[in-house]
Amino acid sequence: MEKSKLAPYLGDKPNKISSLPVAEIFKDPICNELNLKLIAGFQGTNRKIYTADINRPGLALTGYLEYFANDRIQVMGNTEINYLRKLTSSNVEARLVSIFSFEVPAFLLSRGLEPPQVFLDVCNRHGVPVIQSTLSTDQVISRVILYLAEKFSPKATIHGTAVDCFGVGVLLVGKSGVGKSETALELVERGHRLVGDDVIVLKKAIEEAIIMEPNPEFEHYMHIRGIGMVDVFAVYGAGHIRRKKELGLIVELVETKRRGAIDNLDELLKGWPNENLLDVKIPFLRIPVGPGRNTAVIVESAALKCRLKELGIDIDKVFAEKSIGRMLNNS
Amino acid sequence: MKSAMRSEISKKLVVVNQLGIHARPAAVIVKAMQKYDAHVYLIYNGHRRNAKSVLQVLSLGAPKDAEITAVASGPDAESAIEELSKIFEGGFGEE
Repeated sequence: MEKSKLAPYLGDKPNKISSLPVAEIFKDPICNELNLKLIAGFQGTNRKIYTADINRPGLALTGYLEYFANDRIQVMGNTEINYLRKLTSSNVEARLVSIFSFEVPAFLLSRGLEPPQVFLDVCNRHGVPVIQSTLSTDQVISRVILYLAEKFSPKATIHGTAVDCFGVGVLLVGKSGVGKSETALELVERGHRLVGDDVIVLKKAIEEAIIMEPNPEFEHYMHIRGIGMVDVFAVYGAGHIRRKKELGLIVELVETKRRGAIDNLDELLKGWPNENLLDVKIPFLRIPVGPGRNTAVIVESAALKCRLKELGIDIDKVFAEKSIGRMLNNS
Repeated sequence: MKSAMRSEISKKLVVVNQLGIHARPAAVIVKAMQKYDAHVYLIYNGHRRNAKSVLQVLSLGAPKDAEITAVASGPDAESAIEELSKIFEGGFGEE
């Protein structure tokens, strides 16, 4: 296997969590977004969620427990609640008890629905959390899946600086002192937005994309040699920062001692090069830096090229085809 | 200075690939030449172009069978010309 060009910059090995205690949900912003309220099963909040998916337990409530996806959050909407209301109390209890022969992390009720009292009693007795949300069922389902997918996604940290440049999430990497932070500061001066400096958290979101986030404790602080810390939010304002951005381009800054910098010309010879990061292919460019070079302008130009490529215009390809066309016309 | 001038060497090269020197062959030439300290020029139809710049090499507009004179000067001129002529003979890795 070819060694990744990013290996020297990756911090801790990519890792992911395998389970999430229900209590964690109440510590995250999703708790407010979904207006979550714990209405029963308080002692069971250490129960664990193991997958990013959810389950509608309708069939399980009717007593069909083969293929019961018990390890997921059980989302109940109008259908399930109205069905429960039609059952006698002893029936509700019996069905729940057989469901609880499996390990169930929690019930999540949409639309602020109130289940029959016996449902809450049985859940209290078995310590299964019952959570209520005021949002509609489809909203609850889609947001919970997104939230859990992010929680269960592979993560890594990388030594680099992240900037949103013309809407393209650019990750600058390179040896210490090569000028990542200075370049980012100039980009910020030119109106672009800083995501983070030095320690960038990478999360593989659902679908083949990587989200970059700053180190949570030192969001938007930069360390600039010679002057120390710069708080980009305080100095440049809210318009110059972002909390997260999808990674679109990796730029490695490489110091060159020679006057004429070596360029591998890969864009013309092989097409735009990619690097694998958390198993996602990301465009990767190597830019020579040195005294008198304006790296920020080069990065801007690279970002614009990247943007054009996303829009279906590959400048290198167009140029190569043009040059062939010219030769065909000449001969 | 004079000894550097005298170290200038030249060689006639022929373009053998079907499409001539389009963007990819130009990149192949530049990629190879940029590692030398020597100044390398390609002369065709009276035009003299720097062999370390893609756009300069391309602007020769040299088609198949074009005869090009390569001129190099500097400490490693000889090896630069040697590699250049191998690249031309190989048709830049094209048919």
